Amino acid sequence: MKTRIMILQQMLPLLLTLLLFPGGAAASGVADTFSDGVSKNAGCIKCHGDNKAVSARVYIDPLKLGHTTHARFGCITCHDAITTAHPAVKAVARTTTCGDCHADVTVEYSRSPHAAKVSCGGCHNPHQVSELVEVSGDDLNKQCNKCHSMIKINASHAKWLPQTDIHLESVACVTCHSGAENFIVNLYISRKQDGRVNLVPVGYEELKKLSGNNELKTLIDSNNDGYVSLNELRIFNRNEVYHDYCLKSMLTPVKPTHAFKTFESRWNCTFCHGSGNQTMQTSFLSIPQKDGTYARMAVEKGAVLDVLNAIPDFYLTGAGRNALLNKIGLVIIAGGLIMPVGHGFLRFLTRKNRSDKGDRS
Amino acid sequence: MSKKLVYLQPAPVRIWHWLNALGIVTLIISGAQIRFPEYVPILGSYRAAINLHNTAGIVVALSFSIWFFYYKMLAHTLEKTYVPNTEDLTTGLFRQAVFYFLMYFFGTPNPHHPTPEHKFNPLQKSAYLLIMFLLMPLVSLTGIVLMNIGPMRELVLMIGGMKLLSTLHFLLACSLCAFLFTHVYLATLGKSPMAYIKPMWTGWEEEDEREDHGKHDDHEVGDKRQ
Repeated sequence: MKTRIMILQQMLPLLLTLLLFPGGAAASGVADTFSDGVSKNAGCIKCHGDNKAVSARVYIDPLKLGHTTHARFGCITCHDAITTAHPAVKAVARTTTCGDCHADVTVEYSRSPHAAKVSCGGCHNPHQVSELVEVSGDDLNKQCNKCHSMIKINASHAKWLPQTDIHLESVACVTCHSGAENFIVNLYISRKQDGRVNLVPVGYEELKKLSGNNELKTLIDSNNDGYVSLNELRIFNRNEVYHDYCLKSMLTPVKPTHAFKTFESRWNCTFCHGSGNQTMQTSFLSIPQKDGTYARMAVEKGAVLDVLNAIPDFYLTGAGRNALLNKIGLVIIAGGLIMPVGHGFLRFLTRKNRSDKGDRS
Repeated sequence: MSKKLVYLQPAPVRIWHWLNALGIVTLIISGAQIRFPEYVPILGSYRAAINLHNTAGIVVALSFSIWFFYYKMLAHTLEKTYVPNTEDLTTGLFRQAVFYFLMYFFGTPNPHHPTPEHKFNPLQKSAYLLIMFLLMPLVSLTGIVLMNIGPMRELVLMIGGMKLLSTLHFLLACSLCAFLFTHVYLATLGKSPMAYIKPMWTGWEEEDEREDHGKHDDHEVGDKRQ
């Protein structure tokens, strides 16, 4: 019985769509596959996916909607109060809320200071949401920048945070301002801007021109095995063709929470810098996709710690130290002790030779 | 054998030396905490270590400027004091090495007798040339760039990235640390363990009166002959 109800629930949006927009569904000529959000919502998208037919406020990008999990549930799952009077009656009331599905997140968020200021929709556009792995660190930060201007962010952090500009460039806001516990380093192919002060992640179109007929990922993953080795990173960094490009790295959380605030532990720099180099072992290359999302590809362990060529422009003091370099440094320092220890020992044994001549050393 | 006092270390050099010494020791300690925060939490917070490291770095860079300005602009003895001459390279280095590594143990006197114009023996000259004209400028410059990654991003990328820069800074700092051990030890090899250290504080070094030297530098001996 329960299964039947679920099937009915799943089918209901489609049935309603067909009922409300028979022309649209017929015109599409595509049956609902339940996995293709665009065809499932074809009736709505016929108008709302056409920026000439509707205003920008209610325009839905079909490509971005189709990518979301929300699309699988169908427009009418959320816009459940729609009637046959639409579009003559413009307003489409909703009785559903984000919390109906995302109860845990809603409860957690309601306890954060942000909840009183901004609702879910302030950060998340339900028509183009993506998985965390599909979003770049810069995109994550852009959500914060909607309310928190970079000028103010810079000013408040500069009061206490050394090298503020580097931190803000290399760390996603939610790395510190959410209760995340584990972190990874994401790499983005970036372009050195004029003056090369800011590294800008390059979008799909530009990379497509670079890669030609090949897949974008082959710009670095030259053997196209879906895995980035240290050697492939070195080849990319040394390739003169990519002279104007480099790898920008960002520390992002594996799973940010919605308890947005400044956590006490983050005031202590050793939260990151003293976390040990195990944190620096996991990194991913994020490749932009046509729909604006990113696809992550695993990078060989230890790329962040590689001394010279893997990720040359990312270094987290303390946690990013290289073990081999530590040993070389130790050998150099120990070399400085050869003279005091070796010479000092012989000096001690032969002290009588000098004391006979009035030398007190 | 009578003694005389030679004014070997003028005030600007002494100020530079001790400022430099304090700065470098501070840099080594704070640098150790910055690289190994889990194991060397000597200075309290990581931020305190960073700020102290940056401050000490600026002090050392400024004191280096004092040193350079004094020798180059005021004393005009930079090259003479620090650059080994032909004699130093052909015989002096060997003679001094034989003394340190062999003759010293038999109680033979140091073949080099410092004067204000020739205060370093050939081995010292060579070592200081390397330290002051290569190691110190490089470690200071890499440090200055590391302190200003954002504004100097273009230079950082030109050098090869932040990681290469920090690697260079670390290895140069280790070399400086190694030199420090040897330097402090060699400073105790005078007639008494403090014989070479005291002049760096007072400016005056006690020398044995010898006939074979001093003939060209009597004017530098001054009134404190005893």
